[in-house]
Amino acid sequence: MIDIKNVDFSYSRNAKLLSGLSLKLETGRIHGLLGKNGEGKSTLLKLISGLVFPIHGNIDVMGFNPQKRTPEMLQDIFFLPEELPQLPLSIKNYEEVYAPFYPNFSAEQFNSYLKEFEIDDKKAMLNKLSHGQKKKVFVSFGLATNTKLLLMDEPTNGLDIPSKGQFRRMVASAVDESRCLIISTHQVRDLDSLIDSIMIMDEHEIVFNEPNENITKKLLFKVVDHNETDESVIYSEESMRGLYQVRENTTGEESKLDIELLFNAVFTDKKRIMNLFN
Amino acid sequence: MNTTFSFNRLGLLIKRYFAENKQRELSFWGIVIVVFMLMHDITAIGMFFYISGFIFAARMFKIFSYTPGGMHYLLIPATHLEKLVTAILLSTVYFFIMLLVSYSIGNTLGTTLGNLIFNMQNPVSLDLFQLESISKVWGTRVISQRSLISIFLNFALIQSIFLLGSVYFKKNAIGRTFLTIIFFTILIGLLEILILRVTFGSFSITGQNMNLYISGDNLFPGFEQAGKIVKYLMIPFFWVVAYFRLTEKQV
Repeated sequence: MIDIKNVDFSYSRNAKLLSGLSLKLETGRIHGLLGKNGEGKSTLLKLISGLVFPIHGNIDVMGFNPQKRTPEMLQDIFFLPEELPQLPLSIKNYEEVYAPFYPNFSAEQFNSYLKEFEIDDKKAMLNKLSHGQKKKVFVSFGLATNTKLLLMDEPTNGLDIPSKGQFRRMVASAVDESRCLIISTHQVRDLDSLIDSIMIMDEHEIVFNEPNENITKKLLFKVVDHNETDESVIYSEESMRGLYQVRENTTGEESKLDIELLFNAVFTDKKRIMNLFN
Repeated sequence: MNTTFSFNRLGLLIKRYFAENKQRELSFWGIVIVVFMLMHDITAIGMFFYISGFIFAARMFKIFSYTPGGMHYLLIPATHLEKLVTAILLSTVYFFIMLLVSYSIGNTLGTTLGNLIFNMQNPVSLDLFQLESISKVWGTRVISQRSLISIFLNFALIQSIFLLGSVYFKKNAIGRTFLTIIFFTILIGLLEILILRVTFGSFSITGQNMNLYISGDNLFPGFEQAGKIVKYLMIPFFWVVAYFRLTEKQV
């Protein structure tokens, strides 16, 4: 679905934001894009959607060059940015104006998502809604477009606690084998159960890109009572419950993936993790 | 699916514009009608046509000054050509027609109300539609021929420049386009002086004012017509440049 080869990108001449970035993503997965601030996560989403152009390298999205921004490509992409546009339209008008651009849009789905988010008044003006409410409308609309590619930049920012759960349920039900969802986020705890493939950006490149099943095959996430250290420990972290550890999975034991621990482990010993997966 | 141009998508883009600017459009044209009710001087009306027109054109791509808005606009599934044609139709054809309609309504209402209030019998005179205007220059009667088409073409030329400015400049499109026009005018003026020096050798200015005018007709027959054609060809030229600028736009 997405094939990025050796992409360089910078906003200014002096500082390169992305350098030689390569990435392949397949359909049927919810990819979590993680990284520290300023690593270029949002820029990567913009490159995929054709909002910015690479200086060098190639990007292929569903067989299209995103730089051309053709309607065939755009009608199969929905991008939910972190900051939403201020549109002087009611929810109903927004649907009337923008839904016809997306041939697979389902009004039924849109209404059911709005209902799940407890947004009843479709006459409400988008520019009068709170950030969280507006985000719910755009998430609902984005899922209802049934585009093959969904890009979401910090989708849970601004959502209240019950809405985060609703968001997870809705996204999980909306993504099937034909769709691909990329979520850029810092709120890993919010999306822990949703993401099934993890990409980590460091020093302006993708240093880790693995599906969850591969991660738990090779890494073991454990809580131990005391400082059990041996060579298999890659990362450990003190907490109230004990000592959280990420170890090499040498025994084939099954464990629950902890994205935050994985993220910290990658930053602690990137080389070891990269060797382990390569 | 038509990948270059679809009238369906064009219609959707126009619908989008009116849905998002309904309130602004209604209040703007209301104000314009009131202005035309009060304004009767044909020169001032002409100025109002052009000034309001270029302000409107320069705001066509104002959405790019606000990043989330620009992102949202660029991701609308329509071609760049359809987006540009929408902007041209709105800023040039729609705006011109609306100005003429508002002028006719405003002028008629203004004259009728004036007659009712002051008990007069003034006829409604839509001077803008007079194809011949008579004015006095230095005491001499000057009859100038004009047509709505030539007014429209001049209007379209100004609109095309400001439309390009609107795509080109992210912020303060009106001011920056003005500065660019001034810059190019000075540049062309200097080039003209240089050509005159090269062609006719040195010349000196002896009076306080110098009005140097070379009539094209005196040099080559049909030169003036050719100049007009070149001038009007600038309209599609600016549109084409605006198109390429839009395709290169990054947010």
